[in-house]
Amino acid sequence: MTSALFLAEAVVAVPVLAAAGAAVIPARMVQRVAVLGMALTAALALGFGAVVLRVPNRPADGSWVALDALGAILVPVIGLVGLASVMLSASYLRTSTTSVVGPQRRERIYYVVLLVFIATLLAVPIAGNLALAWLLIEATTATSALLVGFSGRRRALEAGWKYLILTSLGLGVALLGLGLLAGGLPGDGWTGLSWHHLGHYAGGHNEALVAYVLVLVGLAAKVGWAPVHNWLPDAHSEAPPPVSALLSAALLPAVLVVAWRVERAIGPAVGPRSAQRILIVFGLASLAVAVPFLWQSLAWKRLLAYSSLEHMGVLALGIGFGSPLALAGVAVHIVGHALAKSLGFYASTPLLAHDPRCAGHAPSGIGRSAPGLGTAMGVSLGALAGLPPSPLFVSEVMILAGGYGSGHAWAATAAAALLALGFLGLAHALLEVLAGKSRRRTTAHPVDLGGVVALSVGATGLLLGLTAVAFSLPGSALVSALVRGAS
Amino acid sequence: MNGPAVWALVVLGLGVVVVRRRSTAVGLVTAQALVLVGVALSRARTGNDVLAAAALAVRAVAFAGLLMFLVSRTRELRPVRAKVAAPVRAGLALGFALALTWLVPISPAADHYAYQGVLALVAFGVSTVATRRATLFHVLGIVLVENGLALAALTLHGGSSLEIELGVTLDLTLLTLVASVFHERIFAEFGAGDAGALRSLRD
Repeated sequence: MTSALFLAEAVVAVPVLAAAGAAVIPARMVQRVAVLGMALTAALALGFGAVVLRVPNRPADGSWVALDALGAILVPVIGLVGLASVMLSASYLRTSTTSVVGPQRRERIYYVVLLVFIATLLAVPIAGNLALAWLLIEATTATSALLVGFSGRRRALEAGWKYLILTSLGLGVALLGLGLLAGGLPGDGWTGLSWHHLGHYAGGHNEALVAYVLVLVGLAAKVGWAPVHNWLPDAHSEAPPPVSALLSAALLPAVLVVAWRVERAIGPAVGPRSAQRILIVFGLASLAVAVPFLWQSLAWKRLLAYSSLEHMGVLALGIGFGSPLALAGVAVHIVGHALAKSLGFYASTPLLAHDPRCAGHAPSGIGRSAPGLGTAMGVSLGALAGLPPSPLFVSEVMILAGGYGSGHAWAATAAAALLALGFLGLAHALLEVLAGKSRRRTTAHPVDLGGVVALSVGATGLLLGLTAVAFSLPGSALVSALVRGAS
Repeated sequence: MNGPAVWALVVLGLGVVVVRRRSTAVGLVTAQALVLVGVALSRARTGNDVLAAAALAVRAVAFAGLLMFLVSRTRELRPVRAKVAAPVRAGLALGFALALTWLVPISPAADHYAYQGVLALVAFGVSTVATRRATLFHVLGIVLVENGLALAALTLHGGSSLEIELGVTLDLTLLTLVASVFHERIFAEFGAGDAGALRSLRD
């Protein structure tokens, strides 16, 4: 067994074991076991990324595990965001009073479901078979829906229900596409849907195109691409903040990676330009839907949710453009978005303790009333807006330049205009957060900002480091592996 | 593929679209799953095929038990009215099914008859979710789609694989359990399992 394969299996097994442990040990030890399990998982995830990136051009071999550059980028991101989410969950559970389960079992059930969710998330980008990836994505729906509605409040139940039904239905449509694809793969049935075998699709062009569209539309419902994004703003804004961070920074890109692999594998049968155009349409639609909301005065988590819609659109465009420069931009964007967005969601727990009205209103003047919290929110929002030196600025420029370079000038121009409008909306929100008029009237109780301030320092360092790395990516072995994809 | 079996699946599926009572719809979906078990057993060639059929059977019985338990735990004073009248629902579902069979090309190697049945069941499932307000009918709509896809799995060249069948069974069971938790909580919070009441999140 290679070390990469061992790490791939361990990175999924450890959180499952931690969840099993958390289910049976005494209640006072549950949080400690969850943190320890996730710390080990994050270390394994980083190790997996390092080992696989040493040979990023590993060919797909038809097995159940994919050891490629995409997984090597995403698994460490999921591991780190998972660790931060588990660590910051204690503060959420302390401040939240309601839950969908009884108070005695509340903490245990939360951590068990959270660890199982993280384990399934980690398994998605290393699934070597489309059918297996589908099963894992469906499993993330079940676990994460429970977490979205965990508070048991009416709005959370509504968001969780909408998420559960819409994404399950979407995944049903994707499964129909899988069935059509499997029909065009000689002899092997469902097990023939490995990334390697998919490249040998032998059905007709029309069948391939319809199957591709069905799979992509189904996955789009889970990625949150417009026009099948309705659940996204609700689920992200109503879930507990550590779960919102995982949904946005880990779940959406994990499903997006599956869509990317589908595009790589089926593209030749569909016609590469057609396959790319569909992704570009999803990307532009997502940007067009998200941008007007970024101009509105929205509650913090809802603003971040619409920003996720915008960034998933940017990623769809990058994959659709398909040039090496655009794909390098996609790699940077996935990591940068995960860091900035998770920091933003983590800041919402102390934000609500600082000013409870921010649950339903746009935050204002936080930089004045709580400078530490304002800094964390400012770093997050500035990075998400693409304010230089944010790596998202570099990645967006790379994606747009890649679009022009690959002959998609009209789409790149439209995207540039929409991104500029989105930037203005988020920049306005940033100014409001940092220097707006503070609405807070009382200092009810001191807010613990230690965790989020430490995270904002760490995230700032990582974001700046990522900006530096972004400049060295074009022409690297990693990018050539991304261009090769699963073919 | 056995023609009467496909017709039975389609008619039972259409029944779910039009019936008023939740318990009747649960019975129809269960009957559909049992027809699928019969189809799977009639096509079984290896031990793994028989195990895959057994997984389908376990799923059918487990869902029937779980959904009936839910119905009994969340008795409505009167059935939640659908957004659309039954004949219109049936018309919409049939129209959607015909459109799908017209739009989706089928591989020459595939069983056309069975695939048209698959597409009809997917259309009926989507129509059920779109036109019904009772939350339990949303779950039944998803089960209907999954039953259609189980039929698709059975009609592939290699048949349904044991791994995938077990995986789908596990996934769907997990999903239905979570949906059950939500359904019960929605019933407790809103006084009815009515998706029409879930309208507070708007921008």
